Amino acid sequence: MDMKKSEVLQGTLDLMILKTLHALGPLHGFGIARRIEQVSRDVLQLNEGTVYTSLLRLQQQGWIAAEWGTSENNRKAKFYSITKRGQKQLEVEAENWERISDVIGRVLRLEAEE
Amino acid sequence: MRSPRESRLRAFAAKVRGFLRGRRHDGEFDDEVQEHLQLLAEKFVAQGMPREEAAAAARRQFGNPTLLREEHGELQTFLSLEALWRDLRYGVRMLGKSPGFVAVAVMTLALGIGANTAVFSLIDALLLRSLDVPAPRELVRISFGPPGNAGPLSSPMFDRLRERQSAFTDLFAWKNSPMVLTENGVARPITGAYGTGSAFPTLKLKPRLGRLLTWQDDEPSGISNGIAAVISEAFWLEHFGGDPGVLGQPITVDGAAATVVGVMPRSFNGITVDYAPQVVLPFAFDIALHGKASCRFRADCTWFFGMARLRPGVSLEQAKANLATLGADVLKEALPADYQRIDYLRNGTLSLAPGRAGNSPLGEIYGRELWTLQALVGLLMVICCTNLASLQLSRTLNRQHELVVRTALGAGRLRLVRQLVVESAILSITGAALGVVLSQWMSALLVRYIEQSDFPVFLDLRPNVTIFAATIALATLTVILTGALPALGLTRFDTEEMLRSGTQRTVGHKRHSLASRVLPVQVALSLLLASIALLFAVSTGKLLRIEPGFRVKGITFFGVDFGQRPEKGEARLDLYRKMLEALREAPGVEAASVVGVRALGEGEIDESAAPVEGNGPENKHLFENVVGPDYFATAGTKVLAGREFSNLDRFGATPVCVLNQAAANFFFPQQSALGKHIRSTETKAKRAICEIVGVVTDVKYLSLRQPAPPTIYYPYEQLPDFSWAGFITRSQNTSAAVAAFKNALHRFAADTPLLPPITMQRQLEDSIGKERLMAVLSLFFGGLALLLTSIGLYGLESQRVTQRNAEIGLRMALGAQRGDMLWFILREAATVFAMGVPIGLALTFGASHFVGSLLYEVSPLDPRIHLGAVATLLLAGFLASYMPARRATKADPMVALRYE
Repeated sequence: MDMKKSEVLQGTLDLMILKTLHALGPLHGFGIARRIEQVSRDVLQLNEGTVYTSLLRLQQQGWIAAEWGTSENNRKAKFYSITKRGQKQLEVEAENWERISDVIGRVLRLEAEE
Repeated sequence: MRSPRESRLRAFAAKVRGFLRGRRHDGEFDDEVQEHLQLLAEKFVAQGMPREEAAAAARRQFGNPTLLREEHGELQTFLSLEALWRDLRYGVRMLGKSPGFVAVAVMTLALGIGANTAVFSLIDALLLRSLDVPAPRELVRISFGPPGNAGPLSSPMFDRLRERQSAFTDLFAWKNSPMVLTENGVARPITGAYGTGSAFPTLKLKPRLGRLLTWQDDEPSGISNGIAAVISEAFWLEHFGGDPGVLGQPITVDGAAATVVGVMPRSFNGITVDYAPQVVLPFAFDIALHGKASCRFRADCTWFFGMARLRPGVSLEQAKANLATLGADVLKEALPADYQRIDYLRNGTLSLAPGRAGNSPLGEIYGRELWTLQALVGLLMVICCTNLASLQLSRTLNRQHELVVRTALGAGRLRLVRQLVVESAILSITGAALGVVLSQWMSALLVRYIEQSDFPVFLDLRPNVTIFAATIALATLTVILTGALPALGLTRFDTEEMLRSGTQRTVGHKRHSLASRVLPVQVALSLLLASIALLFAVSTGKLLRIEPGFRVKGITFFGVDFGQRPEKGEARLDLYRKMLEALREAPGVEAASVVGVRALGEGEIDESAAPVEGNGPENKHLFENVVGPDYFATAGTKVLAGREFSNLDRFGATPVCVLNQAAANFFFPQQSALGKHIRSTETKAKRAICEIVGVVTDVKYLSLRQPAPPTIYYPYEQLPDFSWAGFITRSQNTSAAVAAFKNALHRFAADTPLLPPITMQRQLEDSIGKERLMAVLSLFFGGLALLLTSIGLYGLESQRVTQRNAEIGLRMALGAQRGDMLWFILREAATVFAMGVPIGLALTFGASHFVGSLLYEVSPLDPRIHLGAVATLLLAGFLASYMPARRATKADPMVALRYE
């Protein structure tokens, strides 16, 4: 079996974006994509376009806000930033994620021991 | 924590915002994507990638921007216009690939919608639509007549009732009366009407110009300074060019002068549905014309149409109660002294009915027929819809492979359903548009059947928006449901399995079950329509084959109105003689005479007579006609005994008369009537006794359906005051007769208006207009139903054959005989008929009692007719299903098998 990159789990991209914006402050789409690429160290396979779908979804939920600004190379770009509601949601989701990954990790270990 | 429901709500709210905002953010989003792609490409270049490759790599890493844009669109709004446009284009392209299907579907829809709209707009115009006046529901009709007969009122009835009643704000009387307008010495017929002064105030109409008539205009004392007239807007525009200076202008109507005081509003076309008066005059005008002889003073004329407006708060029931208490007293004062003698007056009562829609004689004549037709076209619509359903269904099944491929390529189920719905909508909209065009044409055709030749029919036929919308909605719903529902079922399929098998053979047997369930219904309804069509056709055929007692070919009638001519008495008779002579000498005219009442025409004269000698019963109601010399020879009525009238039967000579066989047999059974005498028992009759000089065959004067009435003929030359006898000619062709009559009229009475000539052929056709209407239209609809059902069957069979191609090939390869295979395929059609025919027969027997009364000498249960209908249906069905079956068995088994 060849080394396929893992696909991003449904819903996890939202969490990653929220966390990225929380950590780095306002960013444009390209910046977010780069950051995720960097952090995941090429383990995750990401259609960068899906970032925008995720961004729109987050905006609709009111967790992030968008604003037009100027990018590093002086071009018009849309900057996304996390809102107060988004921060709260991030806490909830992060906690949730940890609980689940903890459970899954335990289950997997259990199997390995047997 | 946030609930999923709340988050769904937020997403929905965002969609609503997006929907309301429209799509103005698109450009921004595209910029954003472009920017991203560029940055990505630059990054790759910086990493050392060639520029061209970098752009491609960037796109690869980014994913499909088009798909992304679509996804965004769906997140932001419900259905983007762009997507709709795409579906539309694709739909048109797909439909273009099966032009046969599109043609059949669109025509089916167009015929269904067109026929329904046409018939209903006629019903609407004749029976349903309210008069265009304020609060039409307050209007009621007041009629007089024996039970079941809502006839006109006499003047005293109206006046007495108006004095005493308390239920109405006011009453008015109305009388439609064709008039003659004289302008610069040229006379021409116009549509006129008389109204009491209360008519316009009671109708609450506002004038278009000037003023409308009031009670002062109708007072005999008020007419010394000219009689007021109002004209219709159409007449004003056509005749006076819409000049406001028309007010105060004199017009000459029926030889007397009136002054135009106002123009009626465009929306008002009189109170009779099919008669739009151009000029309305007060009854005072009739008094001015006829003096004391005017029916306005006479108790023995029941001549005008009564209407009233209910007082606010008074219901129709209360008004009826009020009338019931007054009626007897009113009648006692209003009826003529000798009313006991006349059945009609003796048994007559006053009655009230809703008057919202005014008066509709055509509606009364054609009401039952029109509703029957509406039922037929309604059934036709059901057949159209079921047909569309099975057509759509088989088309969708045949497209299964396409749908599966599209699913495999990533189209969502909703997306596919939307596509099919859009295609259905294209079909239904096209069909509906064509239906509108068709309905206009069909309405015009219907009116032409209803029209009588000597009576201009005015009908305001506008398609009723509600029913129109309802029909279209029904059709659209059918199309969409039948287009989308199967798609839902189909897209549930295991894509991979379907793709692998590659052919359509995986379509299960049970999945055209909807089509096979719908078809028996269609067969049943078609049988019903076919049977009804045959019933009407046979009935009309019988009517047409009746021996009417007169010649039809070459006979033309010319009405004249010499009432305005100066010649009276002997001079009038001389005018007739001169006209007759000119007609007889004219080239192309074989014979000519004078006639009072034409056969199957509208007029009739009653006469009560008794024999002077003989053993017959005392007296008998007779149908009377007034004719000229050689009338029977001209009209083609056989003289059985004696002679017909000659030039010698003049005023002053022995009064003579001719009886028809029915009258002769009644008065003088088993003996010759010749030379015997008949005495008129009419009180006012001037000719007391006449000698019978001839007996002629019975002539169906009233209608082809009724037996000939006992008839007495008088020679017109012995009745010098008889002013309205017309002319009858016999000629090889009608145009010769018309030219001859025009010439004669021009020579001897140039100022007499020329009325349209009427051929006997047309008269005969008019007299069975209802029957012809029903026969022609039901045959048309029945044929259509058969055709539609055949198409449905054909579709079902074709589809079944395509699906079973492999199975058929296999069976034939294993040695099945062609006949066996045919039966194997036709079995399904046989099942459809086995279910449909009994249902259809049951429906037909159920319906027979509704159509029975519309038929002439045909039993609605006549087994021969129903057998004929079943046989026709079976034949059509067999042909429709045999064609695809034959095609299948002709196929090479090897080819069919190879697809496996």
